[in-house]
Amino acid sequence: MDKATVIIMMVVIVTLPIIMTPVLMYVCRFSDRLRNGLAVLTAATTFILTLMLYPFIRDGGVIQQSIFEILPDLEISIHLDILSFSLAALSSFVWLLCAIYSIDYMAKEHACSRYYPVLIFTLGACQGIFFAGDLFSLFVFFELMSIIAYILIIHEQTEEALKAGYKYLVMTIIGGLALFFGVIIIFEIGGTVSLGVGVIVSESSMLGLVAFICFLIGFGMKAGMFPLHVWLPDAHPVAPSPASALLSGIMLKTGAYGLFRVFFHVFSVDLLRSSGWNVILAVLAVITILLGSAVALTQSDIKRRLAYSSISQLGYILLGLSILNFNAITGATFHIFSHAFMKSTLFLAAGAIIWKTGIRNVNEMKGLGRLMPVTMGCFSLAALAMIGIPPLNGFLSKWTLALGALDAGLPGYVLVLLISSLLNALYYLPIIIPAFFEHPEGEENSHEGDDEKHEVQFKIKEATPLMLSAIAILALCTIIFGLTPNNIVFSLSRLTAQYLLGGGSF
Amino acid sequence: MESAGHQPVLIIVLLLISAFIAPLLYRRWRFLSGAVVLAALTGSFITALLLLSKSGASSSLSYHLGNWPPPWGIELIIDPLRVYMLLVVTGVSLWIFIYALGDLKHELHNDVIGWYYSLYAVLVASMSAITLTNDLFNLFVLMEICAITACAIITIKDQRECLEAGFKYLIMSAMGTGCFLLGVAMIYMVTGYLNYSFIQSELSLALTDYPLNIFTAAALFIVAFGTKAALFPLHVWLPDAHAAAPSPSSAMLSGLVIKIYAFALFMIFYRVFPRSLLDTIPLNEIILWLGAMGVMFGSIYAMLQTDLKKMLAYSSISQIAFIFMGIGLDQPLALTGGLYHIMVHAFTKSTLFMSAGAIIYSTGVRRISDLGGIGKVLPLPLFAFTIGSASMIGLPGTGGLISKWYLALGTLETGRILFLLVILASSLLNAIYYMPIVINAFMSGEEFKEKVKIVPLSMQVTLAAGMILVVISGIFSRQVIIFFEQALTSLY
Repeated sequence: MDKATVIIMMVVIVTLPIIMTPVLMYVCRFSDRLRNGLAVLTAATTFILTLMLYPFIRDGGVIQQSIFEILPDLEISIHLDILSFSLAALSSFVWLLCAIYSIDYMAKEHACSRYYPVLIFTLGACQGIFFAGDLFSLFVFFELMSIIAYILIIHEQTEEALKAGYKYLVMTIIGGLALFFGVIIIFEIGGTVSLGVGVIVSESSMLGLVAFICFLIGFGMKAGMFPLHVWLPDAHPVAPSPASALLSGIMLKTGAYGLFRVFFHVFSVDLLRSSGWNVILAVLAVITILLGSAVALTQSDIKRRLAYSSISQLGYILLGLSILNFNAITGATFHIFSHAFMKSTLFLAAGAIIWKTGIRNVNEMKGLGRLMPVTMGCFSLAALAMIGIPPLNGFLSKWTLALGALDAGLPGYVLVLLISSLLNALYYLPIIIPAFFEHPEGEENSHEGDDEKHEVQFKIKEATPLMLSAIAILALCTIIFGLTPNNIVFSLSRLTAQYLLGGGSF
Repeated sequence: MESAGHQPVLIIVLLLISAFIAPLLYRRWRFLSGAVVLAALTGSFITALLLLSKSGASSSLSYHLGNWPPPWGIELIIDPLRVYMLLVVTGVSLWIFIYALGDLKHELHNDVIGWYYSLYAVLVASMSAITLTNDLFNLFVLMEICAITACAIITIKDQRECLEAGFKYLIMSAMGTGCFLLGVAMIYMVTGYLNYSFIQSELSLALTDYPLNIFTAAALFIVAFGTKAALFPLHVWLPDAHAAAPSPSSAMLSGLVIKIYAFALFMIFYRVFPRSLLDTIPLNEIILWLGAMGVMFGSIYAMLQTDLKKMLAYSSISQIAFIFMGIGLDQPLALTGGLYHIMVHAFTKSTLFMSAGAIIYSTGVRRISDLGGIGKVLPLPLFAFTIGSASMIGLPGTGGLISKWYLALGTLETGRILFLLVILASSLLNAIYYMPIVINAFMSGEEFKEKVKIVPLSMQVTLAAGMILVVISGIFSRQVIIFFEQALTSLY
């Protein structure tokens, strides 16, 4: 594949969903089914186009191309390397499944004519973030996605949702301003903000530190890093479940992705190591991991519990990033994938439960496994992966992260990972064990008479096949990309780490 | 300098002639009266475009009024920055006038609309002349004309608060022009000239002999233009005047009139004062601090408002202060940001006032808290309001980001991070008072109960144009910025 084709494909991947947004808004007037179909089709096309970039990436291709000069020395440009490819493929995949899931889930909801265009628009903005070729374009798409995602969060338009949404919006604006500050300082120091020049800042300076902290604030806010996570536990649960899955599964990762770019393309790795700036991130990441897990224990609303769990899981990625060696970066990249699969499964399964039964409180989920075996099965699988049970993918990422921590001579971090795994077990197991091994409340009495029959009684009340297929595919990914031979995601992560640490080559 | 033909003065003459004809025509053929002013505005805009193509980005042309050569006669200068300002003035006033054609019937008595057209044309003529003139006394006369017409398009609405606000404005502005005249006299005393270019070369010599005179004149100028342009402690007249006026007047006053004085101050700093004067006394520093305070206090006051137009008026105080910060930083990048903000804010604030006007036109609601759910009944005005708010906050894709970008680069270039923080803080404050309105209008579950009149076509078209302008100024800004870069090299 030659370079020009790749560039055109990348532009199409970003613009197609954005162009489809008004089309979807228009189509809404005529037919709901056409709208749903078009939305899924758009997501699918985006996913397939993204996958088609793979041969180019496999050959070690990197692209940096300016598209449009918005100001002198400042342009909208695109950049493709293995990291952007991996994340773009991941996000369009999850988006596709969430769009499929939405068809049935949102059928009962109001204002779908707003939901679908926004869902597809955020896909385009998100691909834009991953393909952005300089910090300015990254900032533009980041803001675009964050602000439009607001409409997804407040979809229910309840007072609670509006309150959470306002908090989200204010935090987003603060984060955006911090990013703006950071980008402008980098522009001032280096005279460019392009990601294609290798490293922009390689000397320690006060201004450089300020920029670094600004990036930490801007991207860390999105990634739910302590102490900027406050918006997350409110915003994620109130959104419709497919949107929560995307928010937790993908949109949080854009923050982590931004930090990856900052760590490897803006500041030189040597500078970060010698000046110890990465320690700032490490400390915050450790607090984030422990705090997220601990608070998740206390939540009884299932979606809130999952949201807090997301905070702690993002902490893993940030921790891996801050360690800055091969295994840790591999683990961090791989965990981006793992967490996307696990958390999307969990949110979609939780959504199916809420959709079918209306239960949100984890204490009321006894016996749900009999009612909704597939949903609950997938939920359990993903929850086990979260805890880090081999051979699931969560284990592999924790293993690699732990290896990285040991390579760096920091066994303390391994302890943090273990404690957090224990906490994960403490808040996930009490959901899944009663779901399968206890009777639903109120049903015990009615079955006292016929004990023999009771053994086989499965009153299945499952979600629709479309929803189940989306959940099941994601749950399968936690196995396929776990401890298996030919784990393509893992080898991609390794190549990414090699690419990032090797300064631009495999 | 080569001759410019008669185009520079043509702009002013066209508008003045239409100002005389409009009220006469209005007695017989109402429709024609508006059309004449519209034609004159279009003509002046086209003439300004022709001037741009003539002067380009680096050369400057001079026009001697009545063929009297300077320093005795009045000289009009066409240089890149003035042409830029002229384009903004004529373009934006043309755009607002189309809006006014739809809105005025509702806001004014039928028999005064002809007078309004006339006043509008005179106001635009005086503003165009202020940008072009190269003569201090001429500037004084034009400022008086501008102030009186601006006051008249506020008080033309027959309401108690309009008269009160107009009176306040008149007094403050008379004080401002008084200070200015005093300053001009002092300069004339020292140099014997009124022409900018002659004064500039003379002042650098006179600075050693008569420093006190010149310092006093500089101080008077700052007070004069500070009052006129609502620079922070002298802003008290603005909120009442801009909020009470009919909506097209508010758009005009906030969008252009205050900026014309900021531009005049910029001209005085860089075309009248010699560099040595700016280096001797910290004039820029004073402007910078006042600007920074204006940015903060304007935003904070705006947060406290309950009336939509009052809020927009206070927001103007903070936005005009951005332009002053650009001048205050005294650095090409910051000046680029400041000058670009003149255009961006003209687009943005006019769009915002127009959409506020459309809301008031069709529902009569002015209170911010009563706007819940209004987005569903008036989608276009509220959508325009959203885009305008985004530009005020400085979101990507709008002009607000570009001017903030250059101002911020300027603060970094001069090493004054404090002022960068002021810029960022003000963006945040803007977000805090603009966003709830947008959210409330579109997302709150409330139903809007008031009766709704249909917004006239001319207003809808101008609102849509406003959105497009705000977005275009955020995306296709490269040429303008390069234009500034070339134009500003002559200052340093």
